[in-house]
Amino acid sequence: MTSYALFLGCTIPARQPHYELSARKAMAKLGVELVDLEGVTCCAPPPVQSIDLETSLIVAAYNICLAEEADLNIVTLCTGCFESLAVANNILKENVMLRTRVNGVLSCLGKEFKGKKEVRHYLQVLLNDVGLNYLRRSVVKPLKSLRVAAFSGCHLLRPSKLLRFDDPERPRIFDTLIEALGAESVWYRNKLKCCGGLLRGYADDVALAIARDKIVNAAHAGADCIATLCPFCFLTLDLGQVLIKSTYKEEYDMPIIHYTELLSLSLGIDPKELALEFHKVKIDKVLDKIGLNLP
Amino acid sequence: MAAQERTSSDFTVEIKQTLGGESITRCYQCGTCASSCPVAKMTDRYNPREVIRLALLGQRENVLGSDTIWLCASCYQCQERCPQEVEIADVIYALRNIAIREGKVPKIYAEFAATLTRDGRLVSMSKFLEKKRIEYGLPPLKPTGVEAIRKILSATGFDKLPISGMKGEST
Amino acid sequence: MEAAKVGVFIADCGGQISKVLDIEAITNFVKNIDGVAFVARNSEFWRGQGLQIIVEAVKNKKINRVVVAESIPKISELAITKAVEEAGLNPYLVEVLDLKNHCAWPHRDAPLEATEKAKALLLAAIEKAKLLEPIEKAEFPAVKSVLVIGGGIAGMQAAEDLAEMDFQVYLVEREPFLGGLAAMAGHFFPTDDCAVCIQSPDLKTISRTSRKCVYRSGFSEIPNLNILTNSRVVKLEGAPGNYKVTVERKPRYVNEKKCVACDLCASVCPVEVPDEYNAKLKTRKAIYINKPLIYPPVYVIDEEACKFHDCARCVEVCPAKAIELDQKPEKVTLNVGSIIVATGFKEYDPSVIKEYHYGEYPDVITHLELARMLDAFGPTNGVIIKPSDKKPAKRIVFIQCVGSRDRRWNPYCSSICCMISLKHAIMIKSAYPDADVTICYIDMRTAGRGYEKYYERARELGVKFVKGRPSEIVHDPSANTLIVEVEDELLRRLLELEADLVVLATAMVPSEDSKELAGILGLELDEDGFFKEYNAKLRPTETKRRGIFICGGATFPKDVPTTSIHSHSAALKAAKFLLHGRIVKDLKVAFVNEEYCSNCQICPVTCPYGAITLVPKENGHFVARVSALICEGCGICVGTCPVGAIELTHLRQNQIQTQIRALLSINGTSNPLILAISCSECGHTAVDSSGMSMMRYPANVRVLKVPCAGMVQVQHILEALKAGAQGVMIVGCKPDGCHYEVGSGKAQKKVEMAKMLLKAYGIEPERLEMFHLIYVEGDRFAEAARIMTENLKKLGPLRL
Repeated sequence: MTSYALFLGCTIPARQPHYELSARKAMAKLGVELVDLEGVTCCAPPPVQSIDLETSLIVAAYNICLAEEADLNIVTLCTGCFESLAVANNILKENVMLRTRVNGVLSCLGKEFKGKKEVRHYLQVLLNDVGLNYLRRSVVKPLKSLRVAAFSGCHLLRPSKLLRFDDPERPRIFDTLIEALGAESVWYRNKLKCCGGLLRGYADDVALAIARDKIVNAAHAGADCIATLCPFCFLTLDLGQVLIKSTYKEEYDMPIIHYTELLSLSLGIDPKELALEFHKVKIDKVLDKIGLNLP
Repeated sequence: MAAQERTSSDFTVEIKQTLGGESITRCYQCGTCASSCPVAKMTDRYNPREVIRLALLGQRENVLGSDTIWLCASCYQCQERCPQEVEIADVIYALRNIAIREGKVPKIYAEFAATLTRDGRLVSMSKFLEKKRIEYGLPPLKPTGVEAIRKILSATGFDKLPISGMKGEST
Repeated sequence: MEAAKVGVFIADCGGQISKVLDIEAITNFVKNIDGVAFVARNSEFWRGQGLQIIVEAVKNKKINRVVVAESIPKISELAITKAVEEAGLNPYLVEVLDLKNHCAWPHRDAPLEATEKAKALLLAAIEKAKLLEPIEKAEFPAVKSVLVIGGGIAGMQAAEDLAEMDFQVYLVEREPFLGGLAAMAGHFFPTDDCAVCIQSPDLKTISRTSRKCVYRSGFSEIPNLNILTNSRVVKLEGAPGNYKVTVERKPRYVNEKKCVACDLCASVCPVEVPDEYNAKLKTRKAIYINKPLIYPPVYVIDEEACKFHDCARCVEVCPAKAIELDQKPEKVTLNVGSIIVATGFKEYDPSVIKEYHYGEYPDVITHLELARMLDAFGPTNGVIIKPSDKKPAKRIVFIQCVGSRDRRWNPYCSSICCMISLKHAIMIKSAYPDADVTICYIDMRTAGRGYEKYYERARELGVKFVKGRPSEIVHDPSANTLIVEVEDELLRRLLELEADLVVLATAMVPSEDSKELAGILGLELDEDGFFKEYNAKLRPTETKRRGIFICGGATFPKDVPTTSIHSHSAALKAAKFLLHGRIVKDLKVAFVNEEYCSNCQICPVTCPYGAITLVPKENGHFVARVSALICEGCGICVGTCPVGAIELTHLRQNQIQTQIRALLSINGTSNPLILAISCSECGHTAVDSSGMSMMRYPANVRVLKVPCAGMVQVQHILEALKAGAQGVMIVGCKPDGCHYEVGSGKAQKKVEMAKMLLKAYGIEPERLEMFHLIYVEGDRFAEAARIMTENLKKLGPLRL
């Protein structure tokens, strides 16, 4: 059985149990073991990088060390965690000078970054470990006629030189995995552009304007929902619609759904087990369309 | 932007020597970053090309003192498309790092620093969520490596940065 | 051999020498050296009466070696050797040294020490002279014929020049028609005329006053010019002046002598394919001609496209019986003395820059595609359309620097794209004044006579210029419109420019088979894949391979005026090389002592000119052999050979050893002796200029000249230390400016290695240093000599 160290990060366990539940349940169903590690910390995402880039590299390296010690590759759900850890992992594997500096600090914790493990995103595990064919065969409730606006979030793709996830200008992996569930991945303008989430708390007006643009474009393309992978994108677009309503007096009613939720639903997992009440914008429209009405 | 400052190349050197800022002098001001930028599209308070331009002209105070550098959404779209491979998003990190060292810390970042030092995480668990987790049968969270992260923050000098409200103690 | 009788001639340079040095003492010292048969003194020896003294001494057979202390570097040496040769002595039995610039002037504050150094310099020259051996001339046959590869505007002009100078010329073109990229371009800047227009050849029978289309110029009728289209070079054998080149000719399937170009064949041909010549905006048949202004004016069958050889409808219909489907590929061997590479450049495929969606959005095109549209003979007869729906394009946006000045793809500026955009913008605005034309640029570059006027004219016509490189082209499917996202930097405002057509000014990159051709010809490519010249400043159309020349866009993207200059230059160089039908060369070359050669195969790789090959000996062994014709005599192989099997005819090992010992045999100063081994190029001229510009450095520094720093062996360094040097300086060119390409860089590596070796012997590695200097850095040589002296003083005496 394939095993991964599950790196949940800070936001998902503390704010978005629907993401964690769907992710865990789907992987269990698809035969991948997810191991929770003791002693993990914050991944040191952009807010920490903004304060001190070198510290953030060391914190990321520390977490990778834990996986190295457990002899497991890391899988992340949050694309922010994916970026922090994968960038650190790949930089430190290549840059000997930086690795020496980082290990100098880690040695006071009795740790050493060895560069022997990989940091993967959930989608990569689906694509490479589970496999598209097995995934397609496991779908019991195909999401037929569902038009999904895929939004992977910036940090799954960029910086592409260090993440090496997919073609940064023509990504296909996320769309392929959406289509594997029987849904349609629709093109919409500025699909690859940011949701503005990282400006929340500093420039809320700008962040909201960017989020609104995203939702307008998806709605314009006739999407039934926006599929996300990142808890920040989810928050920005889901809670964002409440704010858009109060600020712009506009209502889009665009469901924001984590990909793992769509996956779980298509694998036949009972919607009641998925804590769907954590959606601000209700997703009943989507459930209706795929024939899964909440009782 | 504030008034014209005397230009100096010292600032460029300082940025190049800061982690993330190494590639700044490759910039030839083509503007690809600006038209790639989702933030610049929404507000004229931010323009990545202009930040780099001012930095290369040595306008230290204008760059570090304004709120411009805090308006980057770190989406890396500009960096991806830059024909000179200027690592723009990383240059912005370098500029923010320099600003922080001088005590120019936006409130939200002071909060981030404080939470990180206190909890080893950026988002704290609530009683409500703890209850919900049990209700839905999610496994209890494994303990966070708070002590480990504090040692790291102390070794790198992170905890000595001039950020108000950052304390090492647990609450 | 006759015993050496050395004549020594000491010039006083109008009293400049005797003002510092004790010239009497020096003369007496020289007189007593073994083998010195004649000593003379004069104010100067390199011309007039002074030179006559040398000539007399040689003629009267008093002497058979000549040592001259002169003070005009290089020129005096050339004048003296020429006179000596005319007097009947081999010119390589002459040794010239410089007592003024290497001794009297730099050490003018220490006359006693300088006098002792002068003695050492003279002793070294005399001892070396005694060991000098005559060097003969060799003559190699040269065929007066030239192969020109590439039938574009560069190749055609070079071919024309040479054919008219009575060389046999073979012009080999890969495509079925001549003209190259230029023929596709429609119009040209800066003359605003047809691309296919060339100068009529300078024949008595044809007027040269006009320029005509390729096919009407008479180009193909130039005597001595043989045009091979549909052909490519596949093999090169032989040596400069006498190459055997194998050319593979693809069958044309149409007899060039019979075809009357009536077009009946194409009209019945059932196969239709995209027309490359028309940038795929149109189709053509499998049997076709690039109409209408092209050479040869005959049809060709596109083998790939014509999959129905059985159909043969063209054969049936041809009134001239010109179609021959049984033609086979053939190989032709050409015997040529010289080769000119003129393979040009091509447009970069911009589809890799995904944010511009080329190849995905039909209305995003390149300049070449636009040029075809603007051509009245082109696929749209001069009308600019949106390829997606064939409607006229009214709003046109140009994007500059697409794949150029871009570290991700091609870091260089392609140099001609700004002008191409201006030319096209002007053409569009002139024909369609209501068209909305915008050029998005990073920097407009219009360097060239009359070029700025294009910029001005474009503004006058209302072309809009936006300073800013677009980040993305978006397609709006509802309106079938393109949206160009760009920052107008001057306004600091983000714009969304709506466009019917976006034209990408793509980078210009090397022709696709450059790499293969470079391999066949043994030529080097630069980091961008263009053919590399011998020297960018002074020998731009020569290559490291003697007899092979390059020109035009094959070396870098060029406009037509520059290409013309370049191709005439290459033609002139080829003509100069073959002019006399033979190549005469002094045998100042490397040679291999085959007994010692251990077949390690290092030297063939080391030689920057490819002069060394391995030749088979009995029982499967190989030995290195130097081509005297190709060898430049730099001695880098000597410096590299691990067993000392290679020597130079003009600087034998025993000559080096005897000079080292002589130079270090007399100190006369309290300073530690230093041997400076300098290359004869930048290194030695820096020493010269140091003296000439009156720099001061101590007299303990003694200079030994070798052809290239790459010749220095670790052995030489150790011998110097054994002979009394306390330190060794190696003085060479800048590594990227080495006159023998790689010598200085190799010397640097060797010095680093030798330092480790010295350390292992318990000798301070600081006793050895390398310096890279150019002529004007005489002050830096003097400074290096002073610092080296100070450092050695601090180290104290060398303990071996």
